[in-house]
Amino acid sequence: MKIRVFSIEEFSVYDGPGIRTTVFLKGCPLNCNWCHSPEGKRFGNVSLRSPNRCLNCGRCIEICEYNRKKCIGCAKCVDVCPRDLIRMSAIDYEVSELVSKLLKNADILKINNGGITISGGEPLFQVDETLELVKCLKGKTHIALQTSGYGNSQKFKEIIDNIDLVLFDMKVMDEEQAKKFEGIDNSLIFKNLEILKNSKTKFIIRVPLIPGVIDTKENLKEIINKIKGAKDLVRVELLPYNKYAGSKYKLAGLKFEPMYDENMESNPHLDLFKANDIEVRVL
Amino acid sequence: MNERISKIYERLKKREYRNLRSDISFDDSLEYEKNNVPLPLRVSDRLKKMVELEKPIIFPEDHIGFMRTVKNIPDILTEKEKEELSKTYLLFDHALVANISSDYEYTISVGFNKRLAEIREKLKEKNTDKEEIELKAMEESILALYSLIEKYQKEAERADNKVLAIALKKIPYEGATNYYEAALFLRIINYTLWLNGNKHNTIGRFDQYMYKYYKHDIDLKIIDEEDALNITEELFISLNFDTDLYPGEQQGDNGQSLVLGGIKRDGTSAFNELTELCLRASLELKLIDPKINLRVDKNTDFKWFKLGTELTKVGLGFPQYSNDDVVIPALIKMGYKEEDARDYVVAACWEFIIPKYGMDIPNVEALAFPKCVDKAIHSKGFLSATTYEEVEKLVNKEIEKEIKRLIDKTRNIFLIPSPFQSILMKNCVENKKDISEGNKYNNFGLHGAGLSTAADSLAAIKRCVFEDKTVNKEELVKAIDNDYEGYEKLRKYLVSAPKMGNNDDFVDNIGCKLLDKFSEECSKYKNGRGGIFRAGTGSAMYYVWYSETLGATSDGRKAKESFSANYSPSLNRNFDGVLSVIKSFTKPDLTKTCNGGPLTLEFHDTLFRNQEGIDKVASLVKTFILLKGHQLQLNAVNRDVLLDAQKHPEDHKNLIVRVWGWSGYFNELDLAYQNHIIKRLEFLN
Repeated sequence: MKIRVFSIEEFSVYDGPGIRTTVFLKGCPLNCNWCHSPEGKRFGNVSLRSPNRCLNCGRCIEICEYNRKKCIGCAKCVDVCPRDLIRMSAIDYEVSELVSKLLKNADILKINNGGITISGGEPLFQVDETLELVKCLKGKTHIALQTSGYGNSQKFKEIIDNIDLVLFDMKVMDEEQAKKFEGIDNSLIFKNLEILKNSKTKFIIRVPLIPGVIDTKENLKEIINKIKGAKDLVRVELLPYNKYAGSKYKLAGLKFEPMYDENMESNPHLDLFKANDIEVRVL
Repeated sequence: MNERISKIYERLKKREYRNLRSDISFDDSLEYEKNNVPLPLRVSDRLKKMVELEKPIIFPEDHIGFMRTVKNIPDILTEKEKEELSKTYLLFDHALVANISSDYEYTISVGFNKRLAEIREKLKEKNTDKEEIELKAMEESILALYSLIEKYQKEAERADNKVLAIALKKIPYEGATNYYEAALFLRIINYTLWLNGNKHNTIGRFDQYMYKYYKHDIDLKIIDEEDALNITEELFISLNFDTDLYPGEQQGDNGQSLVLGGIKRDGTSAFNELTELCLRASLELKLIDPKINLRVDKNTDFKWFKLGTELTKVGLGFPQYSNDDVVIPALIKMGYKEEDARDYVVAACWEFIIPKYGMDIPNVEALAFPKCVDKAIHSKGFLSATTYEEVEKLVNKEIEKEIKRLIDKTRNIFLIPSPFQSILMKNCVENKKDISEGNKYNNFGLHGAGLSTAADSLAAIKRCVFEDKTVNKEELVKAIDNDYEGYEKLRKYLVSAPKMGNNDDFVDNIGCKLLDKFSEECSKYKNGRGGIFRAGTGSAMYYVWYSETLGATSDGRKAKESFSANYSPSLNRNFDGVLSVIKSFTKPDLTKTCNGGPLTLEFHDTLFRNQEGIDKVASLVKTFILLKGHQLQLNAVNRDVLLDAQKHPEDHKNLIVRVWGWSGYFNELDLAYQNHIIKRLEFLN
């Protein structure tokens, strides 16, 4: 079975306990306005051109049938760049091949109580492949899944039953607002959250503090209501808004158009979590 | 830092005191030559004259002080004499005694009066003329130092600086009895070494030789922890006063390395309260001197890795870690006595040397691995080679030739005597012999530059020419000779071959073999002083020098593109990540190539934003030690900041970066080095 990856990051520090390698699977059904990995959103394989050091020699445009106005993933431009600045946005692996790549530094992961984190995109977008990957990794290392919770519930349950930790995102709680900012119906996420709460797998709730959208008191209160009392909740991790969110759009040939004020400071409202006896950490 | 120390700190940062220096200079070399003055006496005479020219400047807040007011240190040899010497010897690095580590412990504890008495005792013996001259020069050097101190003491009295006026009546004549006196003593030695024309004056195991004074004062409640920090900080600041005058390849390359932690001569842990205090002082001061090295091993408490990482976060490029589990056995293997090996320190950049007893010259030349591969490819045998093993043999032959050439060139090195430095070493007074002629250890070190470029080049040949059989040798040579002009597709293909740093045995094993061959060849030779040649993984500035003259290489690197600095993956290539890099670079048996030279890892500064990040970086360092890496250097950097500093240097006056074995102010570096550092960061997430 082939699985589509857009990046593998060794020593990913903020994706679970210990020293970890995180694999980012390509494709995401959400369309979050603040996404900082736009190259992971679409499942399609396109070329990415790093703007740094580009000589503007024009060879990549010359060879492109569409003058680089659109990309069909033919990869011809990769071969002509004299400075090796163009790469494809996806790599397709056989699951077994990916497993050996992820585990090639398994000794380091082990002595540092770390493991592998499966992230995205949205791993549940390639749900069968993710399940297969999880099954192959099981017993060999600590496995964490980072997910928006948006995916097939039955398979989601099967995945989480086979892993050690889930990093579950909670973003916009209001149904209408979620449609606007994330482009999805968030009821599926809540359904899967219930499945997670009823499983025996430990989980961390992660909240990206998008200013004025997610970090509002009302929204955070809603999140707390959904998770308080959950027996396997380890803690909540708050991610202050990262002003570099837009930095990879140029690379991906996309335009970054935030519908919120980027310059507003994120407000973590730590008191809300403390009042509900929920351990919280700001990353 | 108290108010008094902040004043000194601000003074250093403003650098206005440097305007008080004079350009006055003298040159007695012709006179010396005419009168046939023996070299040791020329050096002591020059020190005397330098002291005469110095005008002490003492500020009310100084308790340590000592700033140079005379910039230039004249030569003692004429050009003609140098030419004459060059016929027999290599005048390496201006023929200066450099890069060794003084016996601060003994000198600070007994004082120079005792040393002077010892020298005078020796002068009474029946001596050869040469011995007489060398001892006389040592005596003269101490007397020159004394006249310097007398001047300073008078100026302190005049300026009504009571602390210095009192202290300088005792120090450096008598041994220090408290922490402040010991710090002042150390500064006086350091200042005088520079004034005496020595280069790369290392600080050594500060937390060991200073500990008894610290402990004494704390136990008797003479000072508390904060006082000790203030004294340490004043001393550290003083080591930065004149760094712009110190000779080096680039500013900042001055060798003031300070070594912390590790184990003692008896094998027990050497970490103590001063270890922590020094890390704290460096963290607060954020200055390029002294350069902090931390000796660790598999049993070192995790606390020290965390404290080290806190310092890395500051962005100075230190501490540099060295692994006692690898370095000590390696030094023993090279012939160092176990007790001495346990006492090792770090020379100017990363070379492992022995304090008090060592007159090693650990940086005499560098083997350029890629050059050997290049010569092999252009040798007759290449086109007729039918297996990769044959190519490997050709490369080995080139390594043999190149090492022989380097050793022939450097075997006999001449050093200008240094009577003052001799007083600071074991055996020199006792044996009536200047340090420039050698001591207990007289080994030479060769760096090894561009290892990963060479390993990658050979891996590309092995994969593309002999395994895939998709590239023919003639075409490859042609492409290389044309700097890949018109061979872009071929170049890409070569780039796609395995690269050292991805934890791929295919190429990593080639790197291991290259290093083994390097060490094996070095072991065949002795230098003119009876010492060995030590193979190492450092590059010094050779990574820039050699890469500028070498054409394209078969890893897909184009002509003039840089090699990586020291022991690190190639530039301009994508790597799987830091874990794989660590795995690749801990595969070789580094006890065989332990002259020194770190793996360098660069991290984006945001990684250090909270305790979780710091703990994980500390774990990563510990992992490197467990996997038997020998030396590690980490940088917390931000490429955008460096780019901005190139555009607006005025906004980044105090921006510090690690260059090859030392840290310097970014603004003071040549453009080539600035650009190299920026290039290193291009692939950082």
